[in-house]
Order: sequence, then structure tokens, then C-alpha cells
Amino acid sequence: MLSTLELSPQTLDADAPVRIAVKNLDFYYGEHKALKNINLDFRDRHVTALIGPSGCGKSTLLRIFNRIYSLYPEQRATGEILLDGRNVISSDIDVNELRSRVGMVFQKPTPFPMSIYDNVAFGIRLYEKPPKSELDDRVEAALRRSALWDEVKDKLKSSGMGLSGGQQQRLCIARTIAQRPEVILFDEPTSALDPISTGKIEDLLEQLKTDFTIVIVTHNMQQAARISQYTAFMYLGEVIEFAPTNTIFMNPNKKQTQDYVTGRFG
Amino acid sequence: MTDHIVRSYDAELEALRRSLAEMGGMSERMLGDSTVALVRRDTTLAQKVISADQRLDNLQRDVEERAVLTIARRQPLAQDLRELISAIRLASDIERVGDLAKNIAKRAVAISGQFQPPHRAVVGLEHMSRLVQAQLKDVLDAYAASNEQKAMEVWHRDGEIDALYTSLFRELLTYMMEDPRNITFCTHLLFCAKNIERIGDHTTNIAETIHYLVTGESLDLNRPKLDTTDISVEAVTGN
Repeated sequence: MLSTLELSPQTLDADAPVRIAVKNLDFYYGEHKALKNINLDFRDRHVTALIGPSGCGKSTLLRIFNRIYSLYPEQRATGEILLDGRNVISSDIDVNELRSRVGMVFQKPTPFPMSIYDNVAFGIRLYEKPPKSELDDRVEAALRRSALWDEVKDKLKSSGMGLSGGQQQRLCIARTIAQRPEVILFDEPTSALDPISTGKIEDLLEQLKTDFTIVIVTHNMQQAARISQYTAFMYLGEVIEFAPTNTIFMNPNKKQTQDYVTGRFG
Repeated sequence: MTDHIVRSYDAELEALRRSLAEMGGMSERMLGDSTVALVRRDTTLAQKVISADQRLDNLQRDVEERAVLTIARRQPLAQDLRELISAIRLASDIERVGDLAKNIAKRAVAISGQFQPPHRAVVGLEHMSRLVQAQLKDVLDAYAASNEQKAMEVWHRDGEIDALYTSLFRELLTYMMEDPRNITFCTHLLFCAKNIERIGDHTTNIAETIHYLVTGESLDLNRPKLDTTDISVEAVTGN
């Protein structure tokens, strides 16, 4: 039986607490309603994948979790996204504090034009002023945690821009985890990377899952099947099906989900 | 089902279904022919069955290779993945049916020169074979039509075959005790009956595969077992 034959990365704990609860969420780009009544629970220390065709709203949803949309006055969200019981879209939330708790990694690596060390330290210095020795320790720990330390330990002072694409992406992950967030959002983190770098990031995601709640948007169905425990299939701004990943990819309930994961959509 | 966006994918799946249909048809014919060869002591027909088995083996390898290639090329999910896994399982069950039919044909050749017991000895076997042929046909039709209900009917009916095998077993033992000259012939018939009973088991395997293919769940019921020959040996021989 599939339910008892879980592969190790797919092991999910159905009793894990809910870290982020999305309730009746609507989102508007001006007049256009991009998300319609989204209800989803993201479990603590699990990887949840958001899949769906372009324009279905999965990246939009990700951008609401850490309020990136607040930068644009014509965009607004209604409903609730509860992070540890507090609604992150309410106006009294300290957005800077929120972003230290909800980190984000983008499709294209975004290293800053500074040294590798400073790229990682940057995230910490934004919110704290630790003494130099502690800062050194935390930069090293973050680089180790992102499986980059061995490759950069002898050139911490050289520019982060000089790294390969895959290394840059891991540097961005190091910068994010150095802030010790609770949740990390990944928006197609490997779509610009070669298979080896992709493998390293996927391996890393499995490691990170033990400490962080992870939400990942991906167009690569096999990637979602490999690394996530829960998957939400979205289409035209709605969640069509949300279930354990094995169910979505082996035996989905909805025909639309089945058509999408088997490449029949359209 | 809606077509794939990549049309060559549909063509690959369709070709697999065609090969499996061909394999299924061949296995049905082999079981029917081997039984006729046995009953009529037709060694020419038996030889035909024996040589047909090679073609069935080749087809099985071919189906397996193409299914694996499609998995590698398309990374199928959900229904598609189940269809490919099912194709591999089905091909292997059908190939085994062919092997068992071939074994019956070989025995038909082996006993052609033997002392002949009364004709009634093969009547029960012929009847049992006809039932299994119907089971095989029904389950292959159920596969072609993705008809899970029909597959389950086949699955439940296998108990009758087991029961029939048990009574045939007793009957053949009786002939052997009546006249020791019957022993060689009846031993061959016993093995043939066992082969047919096992072909019945393969039809239930195929039914289970169809259940998985259609519903996405493995069947975890216990099939009714009516083969009690292990007990009958004691009943008949008195040991």
C-alpha cells in the first residue's frame, strides 16, 4: 500500500503543528483578483510544494507571506495568513521583523556586489549587531549549513559575484538562514541551475527541513515529488487540490490535478 | 482520457497497449491449443504451441524495454506511471501463462506413446481448462476496457478453479490406485492440471493489476482459497 510505503524524504508527520495557516485569502492586482479564497495549512518542518501552470497564483501567494507585495500600493490582500497565530497581512505587523522570520530565495541568484563573507553577514547585520567573533561563527555556520563552506572557506573576502550560479544560489540560502528565520520561501530556486547544482540544492532542502518550514514554488513536477511532503495544485488563482505529495503524484482526487501532473493540461 | 500535450507520448502508450493485446491473444490461443493437443494426442499442434512460446517471450522483453524507456524519457506520474508499471506486470504474467501452456504441450508430446487410460481421465482436465480460458479472456477484456468491476469478478471466480483442481486431483489419484499402469499418464495429467490452476492464479494477478491501474490502490483482500489438495492426499491415501 502506498500509504505505508513512504519513501524517506516523503515521510510526513500528520500531527506536526501548523506553522502558517492561510484562511480565506483573496489577493488583488488593482482590479484583477489573482487569488480566490485560498485556505492552506503549512506544517512545521515540512516542505510544501506549490505547483500549477504559469499565472496560477503560486508565486503571488509566496510573495504575500513576507509582504513583498506591500511595496506596490495597488496590490492588496484580504483574509488571514496566520504565522504563529498573528495575521501577517494586518497593518500593525512590523514588516522588517516579519522578513527576518520569513526568508526568501528567488529564481535567479541575487548575491550582493560584496564579498562572500559580507553577503552572509549582511542578513545578520540588518537586524542585529553581534560582536565580530560571534558574527564570524554565524557566517561560518550558515555557509556550512548551505553546503558551501568547503568551496569558499579560503576566499571569503572575494566577491560573491564570482561564484558559479549554483554556488551563488547556495550563498543566497546561506544569507537567508544566517538570519535564523522560521520559514523559508523558495521561488523556483533551481530553474536557472544545471542538474548537479540542482541536486545540491535539493539535498540541501532536505537538510534544512529539519529546522525550517519550507514552501517551494516549482515548475518541475519531479522535483516537487522528490522533495516535498505536501503539495498544493493551483489553477487560475484557486487551490484545486491540496494533499500529501504521494497522493498528488500517484493518485490525485481531482481530474484537473491528474491532467496537470501527467502533462495533459490544456 | 484527454490526450497528452506531447503527442508522441500517447503514441508510445498506445503501442504498448497493442503489444499487450497481442500477447494476451497469443496466451489464450496457446492454452486452448495445448489442451486440445493433450486431449486429442495431437503432437503437431503441441509442437506449434512449443514454438509459439519464443515469440511470446520476445514480446514480453520488448514490452518491458519500451515501458522502461518511456519511464526514463517521460518521467510519468499518476495514471501514466500506473499504466506503465501495470504493463510490465501484465507482460510478465502473460509470459508465465505462455510458459505453463508450453509445459502442457510438452507433456502432450511425452505421453503420446504411453499406455492410455480411459478417456474420462482427460474430460475433467478439459473442462477445467475451458473455465480458465474463459477467465483469461475476461480478464484481458477487462484490461482492454479498464473495467475494474469485471476484473474483480474474475478475481472472485478463481475459487471455483481451485475447487475443481482439488476434485480433479482426487480423481486422478483414484485412477492411479485402480491400475498402476495409469501412473505415468496420470502424473503428467496432474502436472497439467496444476499448470492450468496456476494460469488461473495469473489471471487473478492480472485482475489485481487492473484494480491498481484503475483505482491507484493495491488490493489487500485475501482471495478465497479452495485448493485443498494438501488435505486430499491424506483423505485419498488414508495416511
